[in-house]
Amino acid sequence: MSVLEMTKIHKSFGSLEVLKGIDLEVKKGEVVGIIGPSGGGKSTLLRCATTLEQITSGKIVIAGETLVSTSHSGLTQYTDKKTLKEIRGKFGLVFQNFNLFPHFSVRRNITESLIHVHKKSREEADEICNELLKKLGMADKANAYPCNLSGGQQQRVSIARALAVNPEILFFDEPTSALDPELTSGILKVIRELAEEKMTMVIVTHEMAFARDVADKLVFMDGGVIVEQGPDIISNPRQARTKEFLAGY
Amino acid sequence: MADLYSTFTQLAGGLRFTLGIFFLTLLFSIPLGLLVARGRMSKNIIVAGLVRIYISVMRGTPLMLQLLLVYFGPYYIFGVRLADLDVGPFKYRFVATIIGFSLNYAAYFAEIFRAGIQSMPVGQYEAAQILGFSKAQTFFRIILPQVVKRVLPAVTNEVITLVKDTSLAQVLAVTEMFTTAKNLASAQVSVMPFIVAGVFYYVMNGIIEIIMNRAEKKMGYYQ
Repeated sequence: MSVLEMTKIHKSFGSLEVLKGIDLEVKKGEVVGIIGPSGGGKSTLLRCATTLEQITSGKIVIAGETLVSTSHSGLTQYTDKKTLKEIRGKFGLVFQNFNLFPHFSVRRNITESLIHVHKKSREEADEICNELLKKLGMADKANAYPCNLSGGQQQRVSIARALAVNPEILFFDEPTSALDPELTSGILKVIRELAEEKMTMVIVTHEMAFARDVADKLVFMDGGVIVEQGPDIISNPRQARTKEFLAGY
Repeated sequence: MADLYSTFTQLAGGLRFTLGIFFLTLLFSIPLGLLVARGRMSKNIIVAGLVRIYISVMRGTPLMLQLLLVYFGPYYIFGVRLADLDVGPFKYRFVATIIGFSLNYAAYFAEIFRAGIQSMPVGQYEAAQILGFSKAQTFFRIILPQVVKRVLPAVTNEVITLVKDTSLAQVLAVTEMFTTAKNLASAQVSVMPFIVAGVFYYVMNGIIEIIMNRAEKKMGYYQ
């Protein structure tokens, strides 16, 4: 069963086409790593999948719900507000710069949407929060504020925040690009553990070794297209462009 | 000495109106300013354009003139006689003062709020959107609390200016503290009433500074 289906995705900013017909399928429990040069469309693809950008044409289905589709007549239409809200409860996104809410404690960062969007009781939300913080080794930081945490700790909180709704799929947009090597390895360990638990994940990353180890499927993007995809394109690239890119690592 | 005592008590009587103008103006101009700021940032170019003109006129003409216009305008322009009209316990001259001040200060507050809102990183909106917050929830729970912290120093400036600006109500013969001081000064042929009034204004602003400093400190728990 696929959790994410993206079909013939086109996306233009003005006259600049940044996604030129992308097809991507992510099955349940699968970890997909997206690699490629900056400006190749990786982040845009992720932003389209997570509703932060609207596609120009194509079809996106998340957890069985159609987010957007283009009809035969060429009309691209997004789903209604209610379904959109439902879909947003089914995935999580971890940002490169964490984007935690600085005026909220760690606890409130995690519980705020549970209480006010998903209408859970405070006790229920607290319980979910405690469990996640314990799992991520942050149990003693529940009452701290983001500005008092290291980058690695902040990213853990943002992962906890994304996991709080028990999403069917988790997206990572270069989750370690703002971290130093030591903190990076901590975050990669967390993602690895999630992979072992069969969490469905799509990870945009520049950490090649990590991508090769953790991903079930790798996707190499450049120039707005998927140049090559498969389980071992890092250790065994076929396309010249992929080889050229990987030679830089 | 008896003079000083009566000066003091009479100025304190005028202080009631000064405080009335001060608090009522804040009460109306801050929410209105928020609304104007939203209008100024509207994608609707007609709304944004009208609000732009409103702000420009409010900032570009004297508050004293605006007060006179609110008070006399209805009669001279529309022939509606409001001057004798009392709104509850308030005379129209006082009501007109509050309207004039609120409209004027809303324009200044709007630009401060706009600067604060536009300084918020887009990531905050994106994180809120992903988590499913509605537009209203995003604004009131995520954005506004952070904006308040950012604009507080600029707001303090405006609030302090407002304390001193209340003296402009004298043009509508509202017997606030400055009007009272002026009357006393000419009756006593002395500058003492002005000095006492000056002390009153300064003490009020001292209190405001202390309160706003505390508020800033209270919000200093995060960066």
